[in-house]
Amino acid sequence: MSVRVFRKTGSAVLVVLIAASVLFPLAWMAIAGFKGRSEVLRTPFQFFPEMWRWNNYSAILRDHQFMRAMAVTFIGALIFTVLSLAVNSMAAYAFARLDFRGKRFWWVYCVMPMFIPMMAILLTSFVVVSKLGMLNTMAVLIIPGVASAAQMFFLRQYYLGYPVAVEEAALIDGASRWQIFLRVFLPQSAAPFVVVGLASYLAYWNAYVWPILTITDPSLTQIMQFLGNFRSDRGNDWGMLMAGSTLASIPTIVLLLVFQRFIVNGVRISGIK
Amino acid sequence: MALLESAHEGQPPAGAGTEPGRRTRSGRRASAPRRQDNVTAYLMIAPMVILLGIFVMWPLVYSVYLSTFKISFYKAPQFVGAQFYQYVLESSDFWHSIWIGLYYALLVVPTGIVIALLLASFIKTLSGRVAAFMKVTIYLPAVVSTVIASVLFTFMYQDEGVVNWFLSLVNHAPVAWLNSPRWALPAIAVPGIWLGFGITTLILLAALLDIPESYYESAKLDGAGFFQRLWYITIPLLKNVLLYLVVTGFTLAVQMLDLPLIMTNGGPVGATSTPNYYIFNSFRDLTPYATSYSLTASLLLFAVLGTISIVIFRLIKSDKAVDG
Repeated sequence: MSVRVFRKTGSAVLVVLIAASVLFPLAWMAIAGFKGRSEVLRTPFQFFPEMWRWNNYSAILRDHQFMRAMAVTFIGALIFTVLSLAVNSMAAYAFARLDFRGKRFWWVYCVMPMFIPMMAILLTSFVVVSKLGMLNTMAVLIIPGVASAAQMFFLRQYYLGYPVAVEEAALIDGASRWQIFLRVFLPQSAAPFVVVGLASYLAYWNAYVWPILTITDPSLTQIMQFLGNFRSDRGNDWGMLMAGSTLASIPTIVLLLVFQRFIVNGVRISGIK
Repeated sequence: MALLESAHEGQPPAGAGTEPGRRTRSGRRASAPRRQDNVTAYLMIAPMVILLGIFVMWPLVYSVYLSTFKISFYKAPQFVGAQFYQYVLESSDFWHSIWIGLYYALLVVPTGIVIALLLASFIKTLSGRVAAFMKVTIYLPAVVSTVIASVLFTFMYQDEGVVNWFLSLVNHAPVAWLNSPRWALPAIAVPGIWLGFGITTLILLAALLDIPESYYESAKLDGAGFFQRLWYITIPLLKNVLLYLVVTGFTLAVQMLDLPLIMTNGGPVGATSTPNYYIFNSFRDLTPYATSYSLTASLLLFAVLGTISIVIFRLIKSDKAVDG
């Protein structure tokens, strides 16, 4: 009995300790946003501010550049997510279920990009998009990353495991492959779509290198570009930068909390383990 | 022909999927699952194939092509063959950056996996609700962007920052983390681990849950402690997952770009100049032939990386063979 109680409190203490140390940097970031300019970095150290000030948060919320970057990135991320779900799931269905000439070749072609390091194509991708006249447009942020080998592969694995019987019945009833895809497969795809869609959303929202290469127009500045260049653009206003970073992490954290069950199980769907 | 067929495909139920030729050949029942759907299939993969073609395959081919030319703003491109390859391979900066990349991976990957394995074993012992809370908590840093982590940790590493405050608790003098050639790389490895260990933990947890509980029970009966069970049961059974994690973790870590780009700009004195940072920086550099040089370096990195992953893969595999 006493051993069990001891164990239970032990693991409870451990849970709290682990959670606290993992979350410490994020909490610290959010709290630093409430500190005054002279208070942010100072010895002796204080965890909480002497006075909770809202001026960093209100200043960044009134900052046009910041709000614009948040809005532009959010819209871009939504379009990006929808497009990549459409493109990748369609190809995934074709590779999982259809039989066609040259299938093996196109399969290798579509999966190979998983093994190409980003750097090997980053520089010439830049040359390609600038020749296509795509620099400083939303299109350059959205279109090049839409087709994703890894996501297509993930969806295909999922579709392979989907029972064939339903599909055969629909085929005998005379449904076309498109109808089967749209009416049978898509409605069943919620779980993998959440996992893959979230990955797309995060990839877009968190992108930094591609935007700093292709976007110089301030009205299209992406949120991570804004934060990453904050110190060189505006100096070491740490309080405001931490407030901005906190606000910019909220959308992704909220998404994680809303879809937590899908994500935690996503590992199982993927069949990596 | 193609047009005709696609029109055929578009027809409502009755016509769809019964291409006359095939039906006479093999009969309706057999043809339903096995028939070919060339037009539909090609329409479905077309967007993906075209996008990958323009934004992945073409840039790759173009890189290889351009790396054999001397490109400058003033003169017409001049074919130089493999000259840049030789130039890059002889450059000590390139090899230095590879070394930094390997060192960074060595700091991040094993630590990340050990932490993840311990956490996963611990979470496994928790009850449903607490385990769910832990999983989400641990995953949280993974959705935070690398840029935000960079900014945040730069802030924490300032002279008067929170990390130095912890040091002062143990009476240690403050360290100029990001400005010291010795500490800069370990300092940027910490956010690297923090960002990545959540996913690793979830993957390992999923694998752990597949190990039959009876193995552990009989080990416990034989008096094996936690670490003995971990060493003799868990790790051997997780070998494939661990292999996957080491190889993917390694290739990702060597390619780290955002952290040094934002936190240190590759400095001090090149101490955090990872391969991708080095290439990216030489591309932005306006010295003549920088484009060809950085393109060549990126292709060579691709080759070096591939080789190293194969070596790791082989090493662990052969180890496994010895173990039986």
